[in-house]
Amino acid sequence: MARVYVHPLPVRIWHWINAFGFVIMILTGFQIRYVGLVELMPFRSAVLLHNGVGFVLIANFFIWLVFYLFSDKIRVYHPDLSPTRHFLASIRQMRFYGYGIFKGEPNPHHISAYRKFNAMQSMAYQVMMLLLVPLQFYTGLLLWDVERFTGMIDVLGGVRVVDTAHVLTFIFFVGFIFIHPYLASLGHTRTAHFKAMISGYEDVEEEHETG
Amino acid sequence: MAMCLGKLETRSMHMQEYFARPLALLVVMVCGLAGFAAHAAEETASKADQQCLGCHSNKGLEKKLPNGETLSLHIDEPAFARSAHNVLGCSVCHGDVTIENHPPLKKEIKSVRENSLAMASVCRNCHGNVFERYEAGMHAALLRAGNPAAPFCTNCHNAHAAVAKAAFDLATGTPCSNCHSSIFTAYTGSVHGRARNKGRIEAPVCSTCHGAHDVTAASGGDHLKNTCFGCHAGALSAHQKWLPNAQRHLDTIACAACHTPGAKRKVDLRLYDTAARKGIAEKQGVPQFDLRARAVDNEDKGLSSGELQRLLQQFNPDGSNGKTILRGRLEVDGAVPIHQLADKSRAVSQCETCHRAGSAPFQRVTISISDPSGRPIRYDAHQDVLTSVVSVDSVRGFYVIGGTRIGLLDVLVVLALLAGIGGPIAHLTLSWWFGRPPKRIGGRADS
Repeated sequence: MARVYVHPLPVRIWHWINAFGFVIMILTGFQIRYVGLVELMPFRSAVLLHNGVGFVLIANFFIWLVFYLFSDKIRVYHPDLSPTRHFLASIRQMRFYGYGIFKGEPNPHHISAYRKFNAMQSMAYQVMMLLLVPLQFYTGLLLWDVERFTGMIDVLGGVRVVDTAHVLTFIFFVGFIFIHPYLASLGHTRTAHFKAMISGYEDVEEEHETG
Repeated sequence: MAMCLGKLETRSMHMQEYFARPLALLVVMVCGLAGFAAHAAEETASKADQQCLGCHSNKGLEKKLPNGETLSLHIDEPAFARSAHNVLGCSVCHGDVTIENHPPLKKEIKSVRENSLAMASVCRNCHGNVFERYEAGMHAALLRAGNPAAPFCTNCHNAHAAVAKAAFDLATGTPCSNCHSSIFTAYTGSVHGRARNKGRIEAPVCSTCHGAHDVTAASGGDHLKNTCFGCHAGALSAHQKWLPNAQRHLDTIACAACHTPGAKRKVDLRLYDTAARKGIAEKQGVPQFDLRARAVDNEDKGLSSGELQRLLQQFNPDGSNGKTILRGRLEVDGAVPIHQLADKSRAVSQCETCHRAGSAPFQRVTISISDPSGRPIRYDAHQDVLTSVVSVDSVRGFYVIGGTRIGLLDVLVVLALLAGIGGPIAHLTLSWWFGRPPKRIGGRADS
């Protein structure tokens, strides 16, 4: 096994703030939406915490954005500019998680400094980071002060439409918050990817090293 | 009375002519004001009027009308002498009374109300501006609609004891309480009523919120909210100290909805013109709302979410670009409880009161529009118009987090939880089933 530095410090800081932040946002989101069913804290406390952590996450998002915009590491999101190859690689990755993994087949994706995401990941994370996360922040910001942003809310179709978009994205993240750590546990050990996101280094087999 | 008329004959004849000419009437009134100013200040009736009062000050003087009613002809002389109308004298208003027809009174009076209505036109001669306000108000609208209880001048003012700005009696609530007694009782027990009774003259009375002559339904438009803020100027900043989205709360929740803690509440969805930026009102003489609502209400049990959507489409014909929307407002359900405002220490401040599915305020929903006088016309709707996915567009302007959440989204939340938790469990189970735990699979599996 060789160690490859795939998670630079700004990315690790962003990731863990984002991870804990999203957990808090989901828990407080459940509390806000399901008063009576969920009794973690008073409604008002949940709203204030939700708002506060929301702003932290928006600021944190810019750590991620600025780092990748001003670094060549942005290549991790589009290592292969051929849509056909990217699509076929995604199919291979899905087949691995859905079938090959049970047969003991090797992971078709080989990690390197500029290929830390498999094809499924790079596609999914781009959709999330460039569409879903900004959408969630934007709708959340509008709902934070409905009166201040009433013009934009009306353009979008009203507060009910904005809230529905916010909740639909919330629903996606509810599923993601469980599936993401599970997939992260499918490394060569259960904790390998977790440790990598702390140290920055992934363990890779040397013969597959591509740099 | 004969003597009275005899002495006033010349003046009365002239007055009859003048009544046909408003300009001339104005001259008479100005002269009358000048001529009688001195004795008005002394609060005594003029000599001429004393001749009328020679008969009409007798208690019990009355006339039986054909419909069985009794028309009182008694004038309280001291009260008249103190009244603002003392300067005018009897004949300015009763110009139709001449030596030929009185006594006995020869004109036909069908009822007390008809007589008072006829005399109201005399009031208009001097109080034209007040009349204009009255005719813009709800009471005049009721009168035009033929409501036999609709009040006009003499229902609130005694013409023979009229004192400037003193029609309202705080102790009894008259004249308002004559018709709205239960509301006045609620008011007297409210924080405003108690303050007023303690001598705090800044505390509102009926006319503060409803107007005195241009009487309007306080719940229409932003009138009531603005009236509250007229005195409670610091309300917004006070709420912002503890209430997230305070401005929005104040815009969409009637003050009384929180400040009458025991009251039943409801949601009123008002038709709103986004282009004109104001609530939609029925055009005079063209009532459409109720007809349209009944037309789409198939089961006559209130509008469902689909029926509400169809109603809204009728107010948004092709080409209107959907400019008519529904704006929701949380209100107190009922005219009496809304007047039971409590001290702010008892106001609702628990968010969970509303931000909970199935909360009491969302059990009743009405759709409303204003009539030409500003009075809301309401039509009932099913409570599920607030929670149906069909209403995302039609009720776009009203949403209470948690309280009116869309049921279909809850299903999706459950599915997301099942997928998020069940997916990994199923994957793990399959891994164990095939006897190859994930940690032994591959060397570069990743997240």
